[in-house]
Amino acid sequence: MRELIVSYQRRVAGFVYAITGRSDSIEDLAQMVFVKMARALHRLKAPEQFESWLFRLARNTCIDHLRRQKLRRIFTPFAPEHENVPEPDGAVDSEELDALRHALEQLRPKDRALLALVQEGRSHAEIADICKTSVAAVKARLHRAREELRQHYQSDED
Amino acid sequence: MKTESQAWLQLQNHAADQLSPGFADRVLRAVRSDQVPLFVAHFGMALATAVLCLGAVLLFHARSSSDSAATLAGWSEIAAQASDFDQGL
Repeated sequence: MRELIVSYQRRVAGFVYAITGRSDSIEDLAQMVFVKMARALHRLKAPEQFESWLFRLARNTCIDHLRRQKLRRIFTPFAPEHENVPEPDGAVDSEELDALRHALEQLRPKDRALLALVQEGRSHAEIADICKTSVAAVKARLHRAREELRQHYQSDED
Repeated sequence: MKTESQAWLQLQNHAADQLSPGFADRVLRAVRSDQVPLFVAHFGMALATAVLCLGAVLLFHARSSSDSAATLAGWSEIAAQASDFDQGL
């Protein structure tokens, strides 16, 4: 189990960061993903689908986290100065990364997850299975998300 | 596009750097410590729900029994008064 965590922790951390955009939630969410993985691993019937299954867990954990956060803010709204707390100093140390992070922030969480799944090398069929949709819908949404990301990424770089 | 793919790589590296050393061991400790409390929490929750439901049933039963007794007493009184009235006639 330890080897499994060590070999996937970098990728899961990157995946979580791409969806949430917050450095300070990476460790907690990654831990949550691996705890869920450890608890449910015995239920995985097809070991060859492990990666796809793990990233489905990670995606759902991040989307749930963002949803809960949004819901919490409805009941306990933050003051304007607390609404968008910037990343701590030194958290983002390159312009390219900063531009990508800002561009990702402009997309919907589900689209960010879609792009992150592609970055993780998941096929369209796997993504369709993870997102519980059709391959055609994945292709269409992916095309739109890529276009949107490109626009924001370029405008950030200019 | 090259810069975008470089940025994705940087994103992954940056994210991985946020994991403090000993991450895997901490996860394993969390898994071990979570297993028993989770069972206890589920059992406790089930027990609390059962106690709450039983309490509600008993309360409802006690209240409706005392209401019925009071109603019955009221009707007995009316019946006795009616009987007295009939005898008076």
